[in-house]
Amino acid sequence: MDLPINTVLRPASLAEALKLLAERPGARPIAGGTDLVVQLRDGRRHADVLVDLAKVGLAGIRDSERGLVIGAGTSMDAIAAHPGVRSRFPALAAAAARVGAWPIQCRATLGGNLGNASPAADTVPALLVAGAAVTIASARGQRQLPLEELFAGPGRTHLKPNELIVSVLLPSVRLGQGRRLVERFVKVGPRQEQIISVVCMAGRAIVAADGRIELVRLAFGSVAPTPVRARATERLLERKVLDGSLRHEALAVVQEDVKPIDDVRAPASYRRLAVATLLDRFLAEVARG
Amino acid sequence: MAERIAVTFTLNGEKRSFQVPAGRRLLDLLRDDAGLTGTKEGCGAGECGACTVLLDGRPVTSCLVLAASVEGCEVVTVEGLGGAAGHLHPFQRALVDTGGVQCGFCTPGVAVTGAAIVALDVADPAEQARLLAGNLCRCTGYTKIFAALEAAREARHAK
Ligand SMILES: Cc1cc2nc3c(=O)[nH]c(=O)nc-3n(C[C@H](O)[C@H](O)[C@H](O)COP(=O)(O)OP(=O)(O)OC[C@H]3O[C@@H](n4cnc5c(N)ncnc54)[C@H](O)[C@@H]3O)c2cc1C
Ligand code: FES
Ligand code: FES
Repeated sequence: MDLPINTVLRPASLAEALKLLAERPGARPIAGGTDLVVQLRDGRRHADVLVDLAKVGLAGIRDSERGLVIGAGTSMDAIAAHPGVRSRFPALAAAAARVGAWPIQCRATLGGNLGNASPAADTVPALLVAGAAVTIASARGQRQLPLEELFAGPGRTHLKPNELIVSVLLPSVRLGQGRRLVERFVKVGPRQEQIISVVCMAGRAIVAADGRIELVRLAFGSVAPTPVRARATERLLERKVLDGSLRHEALAVVQEDVKPIDDVRAPASYRRLAVATLLDRFLAEVARG
Repeated sequence: MAERIAVTFTLNGEKRSFQVPAGRRLLDLLRDDAGLTGTKEGCGAGECGACTVLLDGRPVTSCLVLAASVEGCEVVTVEGLGGAAGHLHPFQRALVDTGGVQCGFCTPGVAVTGAAIVALDVADPAEQARLLAGNLCRCTGYTKIFAALEAAREARHAK
């Protein structure tokens, strides 16, 4: 069945795309379409005019002085396979390889995962622990926003209708002498692939030679209206050496910190257990060295 | 009334042009406008993989692709996997030989994704399973599909 839209515009450059969005209020960008096509089909979103980003040139991953820059049009498949992402941002590589299944990953883009603003968007916790920033453009210029400030609620961002996400910056990590980086992404659901997360978690820790946790960032998806950092738990763990009692305390604190929700996919009680279990496994990796 | 959109792309090795309503999905263009009914619609929501085709060499679910957006791209359907008409891709041949086909509804999608896995020369069974996990088959139990993948990979190396 044809999608209920009026027309598709196919700009050949970013400037042209931004001009079209400025001129046609009500136009909506489409990238891979793996969220939007389903929503249009089911009548959960409506659009008269689609602006197809396929030829706008937003795909690609490059190194910059400040870190790795991933274009909004880059597919999950390309992110998961990229050597620099795999070695420097392993949580993101793992998350991208867990978005839907392969035929979805070959089409789904990073910009679409952010633009759709699902509380369960798998790349978001991985980007949050990496301290990511998004570059946003409109016909009038560009701005940069910490990723945490992009989301307004389930399915809603703070983007204006005439703005596009251009890229995501992942700041480089400088590891001091004897430090090690532990980074993980884990997702829980009824099946490994093609499943919306019931809970997902990304964690990053930098551990000094004496076992002290110098930095820790923890982020959870599918537990709240937007993906969230577990800041109280991070504060509890930071600058300490992980031992049995600290680990125990962290598992209690994280459940209050994240305050999981009830919904169709799972009750809050299950999510609390899952959140604590995922954190426990991450801390085991941190302690193992 | 939806506007009609012109789209030109390479379909199974041949350059083709179509005029379709703006909201047409690639799946419907293939089946209704191009008459290539090998590609099947199961869920229409990206979940089952029956509609999988190769877009610029990568498997995608054609039920989620807007036809207008494949302008200038290369699309290969199950009909075109083996190259010339009537020829089978080594993985299609292996599916026949191992008995990896029962009712056949998933088969076009499985053949397309499988051919892409063979092209990447993936040897790790866990990685093969991850890549094929978007193609649901309710008949075969997958054992013979994986046997066919292995056979096609070996055939490739034997060359
Ligand atoms: C079967 C199936 C399984 C899935 N599984 C998962 C999963 O496990 N985990 C997960 O996180 N997601 C999953 N998804 C959702 C989806 O695949 C991802 O969110 C994907 O990254 C969306 O990208 P897209 O390019 O297809 O976005 P589109 O559908 O093209 O766009 C999504 C939204 O973002 C906007 N948008 C797109 N690009 C930009 C941009 N550059 N700037 C501003 N706004 C933009 C669009 O206007 C739209 O509102 C699944 C989807 C399907 C169909
Ligand atoms: S019909 Fe496209 S994935 Fe099921
Ligand atoms: S052979 Fe029947 S669904 Fe796969």
